[in-house]
Amino acid sequence: MMRMRTVEISVGAFVLAGAIAFVVLMVQVSGVSLETDSGAYKLYARFSDVAGLRVRSKVSMAGVTIGRVAAIRVDTTYGEAEVEIQINGNTGPLPIDTGARILTEGIVGARYISLMPGADEETLQDGDTIEDTQGALVLENLIGDFITRMGDS
Amino acid sequence: MSADAYIEIRDLHFSRGTRKIFDGLSMAIPRGRITGIMGPSGTGKTTLLRIIGGQLKPDSGSVLVDGVDMARVSRDQLFELRKRMGMLFQSSALFTDLTVFENVAFPLREHTPLPEDSIRDLVLMKLNAVGLRGARDLYPSQLSGGMARRVALARAIALDPDLLMYDEPFTGQDPIAMGVLITLIKNLNLALGTTNIVVSHDIHETSSIADQLYVIADGRVIGAGSPAELEVDDSPLIRQFMHGRPDGPVPFHFPASTLERDFLRAASGAGNRDTRS
Amino acid sequence: MTAGSRATVFARFARSIAALLQHLGAQVLARLAKLGQASVMWWLAIWGLPRRGDFGLLVRQIYSIGVLSLIIIVLSAFSIGSVIALQFYTQLARFGAEDAVGLGLALVLLRELGPVVTGLLFAGRAGSAITAEIGLMKSTEQLSSMEMMGVDPLRRIVAPRLWAGVISMPLLAAIFNVVAIYGGAVVAVQWLGSDPGGFWSGMQDAVEVWEDLGKGTIKSIVFAVFITWIAVFQGYDTEPTAEGIGRATTRTVVLSSVMVLALDFALTLGMYGEFK
Repeated sequence: MMRMRTVEISVGAFVLAGAIAFVVLMVQVSGVSLETDSGAYKLYARFSDVAGLRVRSKVSMAGVTIGRVAAIRVDTTYGEAEVEIQINGNTGPLPIDTGARILTEGIVGARYISLMPGADEETLQDGDTIEDTQGALVLENLIGDFITRMGDS
Repeated sequence: MSADAYIEIRDLHFSRGTRKIFDGLSMAIPRGRITGIMGPSGTGKTTLLRIIGGQLKPDSGSVLVDGVDMARVSRDQLFELRKRMGMLFQSSALFTDLTVFENVAFPLREHTPLPEDSIRDLVLMKLNAVGLRGARDLYPSQLSGGMARRVALARAIALDPDLLMYDEPFTGQDPIAMGVLITLIKNLNLALGTTNIVVSHDIHETSSIADQLYVIADGRVIGAGSPAELEVDDSPLIRQFMHGRPDGPVPFHFPASTLERDFLRAASGAGNRDTRS
Repeated sequence: MTAGSRATVFARFARSIAALLQHLGAQVLARLAKLGQASVMWWLAIWGLPRRGDFGLLVRQIYSIGVLSLIIIVLSAFSIGSVIALQFYTQLARFGAEDAVGLGLALVLLRELGPVVTGLLFAGRAGSAITAEIGLMKSTEQLSSMEMMGVDPLRRIVAPRLWAGVISMPLLAAIFNVVAIYGGAVVAVQWLGSDPGGFWSGMQDAVEVWEDLGKGTIKSIVFAVFITWIAVFQGYDTEPTAEGIGRATTRTVVLSSVMVLALDFALTLGMYGEFK
């Protein structure tokens, strides 16, 4: 029969170990960052087709992840998709004529948004919309186009 | 209800599944005395104790414990009532993860707001009464059967109950342990004035301490009286029981066809089919 | 075949079908009755008001249920994590995608293997211990004597174990996941030479707090509730004999394990069911 003190100590240690495990899982495994992201801002972009893009998909520029897709909504009036992007605080401001394209990782990988820098001195503010967008390339449409073109020649 | 009956049972009916255990049982347990309840094995003597203690509810009939109807008692009432009862189980039922001291202290810690010092004194007193004060730091697994029973007894009297129930206290005890237990039961009765019920099929031991005996068979009382009266009772079942005769109203042979039939069947190779004829 | 014998055969056939249905119906009713009893026990135990001194009981139970399960959890986690990392690496290396070992390992563990394997181990080690303990208390009349002393065994014996189980298992699952992931890291990075940067950053990129860790933890809580419930009830309900306790212990392990797998299937469908 264990003495009560030893039991209490080991239970405390056990619960502590469990709590630490959770923290490790959150920080080291899920990549949750503990500092508040000051300087983060929202941008919007409208696309004709966002096939395969998901909430939490990457937003990158020159291959570097600078943000995430926060929400995807559909505008039934114009038949367009409106994507809300959360840009990380340490990115800094982007030129007002930045372009956004939806690309695929590899050939059949996950979709992500790639931003191409513009040249304007004026920058996008929190809540602004990116004007220059190009929708996702859907494989079936490509194949359809290709076949049509083959048929024409 | 007669003035000096602590427990009054009237026309008790109780079945478990399809088996009728009590079929119109009636008895009165006098206050402050030792009453023995005896009968052949399997007549439901332990069940009777459970009904008195409120663990089981009768199908019909009334069971009055100090005026309280056990069939209609509320949870809170039962809770209070149980503090005034002590029960000694056949297997002593000590809590195996607690020491002897902690076992006896258990009802005190659960039911009284007493500080640890007072509890300690009370526990030592109770253990002293059963002669096991020196064993207080042992665990139940380290005790002999007889010692475990005495600790269970100390625990049962921890709250100074009005009623003590003993379920087969003499079974499997060596003569010395038996003697100790009998002395304790008698002394406690004299010292505390408790009402005692001893359920047993040990005729000799029970008769030696009981003021009154009840014999139960087939779900009802078939004999009642002082040990001396029952010794000379001439009803066949009581005589078979009191004198330990192997055959009588409780037959020696389990029901079966005659021996000749069984031999014949085996010879003709018809196998062991159970037909009672 | 004469008309008479045809009728007899049909009658006999109809009788056996009727007997089968009756047997089935009786079984179903018996199971439902048991489930009802188990629910009542659960209800009474959980909502019984705890008293001072009950905390010590809870702590004792967390020790017996949680702390004593640590060894088997940690050992299993390390072996499973390393083995999975090895297998993933071998396959992914064929496509040049070794960097995905970290994220594959983490996702599989957090979402599925962590809660499920911990649940199965827990059912086997802690669940059977609980059933055996309570069953033994029942057969030595300790539960009865407690009742006769005016102490509610549901409050003193059952409730602390229920809470201890619900608290311990999610903690064990988290520890399992951490040990398994680091075990996998040791194999992938130290032994097989995978790039540590790719291993960890690929994982952090893909693993999300709510989607993976959060939902996985919900799974382990649900498993904990069911396993502990089954273990406690089987002990409480056992026949008070040696074989009865043995059967009850086996029932706990089998029933809990099946429950964990079935619940996992249902929860996975429910939580991750949108397959685009």
